[in-house]
Amino acid sequence: MSNMFYVAPEQLIKDRAEFAQKGIARGRSIVGALCDDGVVLVAENPSASLHKVSEIYDRIAFAGVGKYNEFDRLREAGIRWADGTGYTYSREDVDARALTNYYAQYLGDMFTEGQKPLEVEILVAQLGSAVRTTKLYRIAYDGTIADEPRFAVLGGDAETIRQRLAESIPEHQVSVAETVRLAVNALAGPERSIRHDELEIAVLQDRGTRRTFRRLSDDDVAALLE
Amino acid sequence: MGLPLFDAASDPGPSFLAFAEAAGLASPPSTAPDTVHATTVVALRCAAGVVMVGDRQATSSYIASRDVRKIEAADHFTAVSISGSAARGMEFIRLAQLSFEHYEKMSDVSLSLEGKANYLSPLIQRNNLTTPLIVLPLLAGWDPSHQVGRVFEYDGAGGCYERQDFAVIGSGTPFAEGALRLGFRPDMSVEDAVELGALAIYEAGDNDPSTGGPDFVRGIFPMIVTVTEDGYREYSTEASAAVFQRIHDRRRESGGVAGGSLR
Repeated sequence: MSNMFYVAPEQLIKDRAEFAQKGIARGRSIVGALCDDGVVLVAENPSASLHKVSEIYDRIAFAGVGKYNEFDRLREAGIRWADGTGYTYSREDVDARALTNYYAQYLGDMFTEGQKPLEVEILVAQLGSAVRTTKLYRIAYDGTIADEPRFAVLGGDAETIRQRLAESIPEHQVSVAETVRLAVNALAGPERSIRHDELEIAVLQDRGTRRTFRRLSDDDVAALLE
Repeated sequence: MGLPLFDAASDPGPSFLAFAEAAGLASPPSTAPDTVHATTVVALRCAAGVVMVGDRQATSSYIASRDVRKIEAADHFTAVSISGSAARGMEFIRLAQLSFEHYEKMSDVSLSLEGKANYLSPLIQRNNLTTPLIVLPLLAGWDPSHQVGRVFEYDGAGGCYERQDFAVIGSGTPFAEGALRLGFRPDMSVEDAVELGALAIYEAGDNDPSTGGPDFVRGIFPMIVTVTEDGYREYSTEASAAVFQRIHDRRRESGGVAGGSLR
């Protein structure tokens, strides 16, 4: 016979939050920021093939930190949701806020009811259009959504990096190159520099094509940061 | 639709069709009557890639539309065109475009050209073996891994066949194919392949009531598409008009007969 012990709900939530935070803190961080003509996503990622930043739809990108298998499954679900919604209705009906809400519900459900909470934090970025605005939504492991007006930082060292970026980023939006530089400096901090091939950078930018997501190659990154 | 999460055993993978059916988005076609047809398209291999030319007319018992697009970019390196039921054909193109992009986003790599060609087989089977609304596509594109243009045609049951020279679909096939058989040479330049493809469509439009030729009155011309190392490119209306104007002028000079040579 198993013994059931009473655990106060406050304690249960606290334990689960600590568990999730610990998992997320093990990984490196990601910065998402608006620039003057789009959105920049910068991740510190030593792997060139296990991406943290990905394309979801024409104007929507995804970034995840924490356990790779957990956020990658959310990425796949997001692509399926977006392609399915666009197929059923129209491409312009695919909205980042709706996707964000689904992610938040799922993460919230797993946090309270799952075997264990997901050890991930994700970012949904949307490039504005005639009918939508440019958005950065950060979704925490417990389903909390933050609508970030200027930039978002996710991952273990988020608070320090957020402070560094808040101090250095100007009021007005600046170019892609400048935004990337600021993000990389904030990620690295004063004592450290990050090698170009350990940076994973993608942008959402209008280039006259339907799809606006572009992954920067190592050469692109080197050229941008020169 | 909620967030489509699957467990590892029932995960549909990067196939959009498998996902759409698992999620109930795409149901197998019904058997509603449909008499609108969409009609002659040719695809030719040439030295620098492939050329596709297609007419613009949709026909039921009368002309239903004069400016239908029967050729579309399935992605940057692939053109896909349709003949047969217009309703099913449009859906077919949409599904093909979405499937290739879906695969690319899910797996972070593009499907190979052969992979794309094979992917269409079950789509055709699914449609043609369950309804009388037959659709036949053509797929042609630039194969980046082999650095050549390639052309694929299909039979009604979904069989996929690669052609080394050219392929034709639609009701004007006999007339278009005649011109292609006489004029085709391996390693033609893109320009020569465009001229020959246009001539084939001109012939089909001239002889087949369900194929539209160049419409100088309304300024509607067959679509001309090239796919090369630089990707999918569509001729502007003016550029297509110029190609067909040349054929038209030659025909006027000869009093309407091809006159024993390809002109």
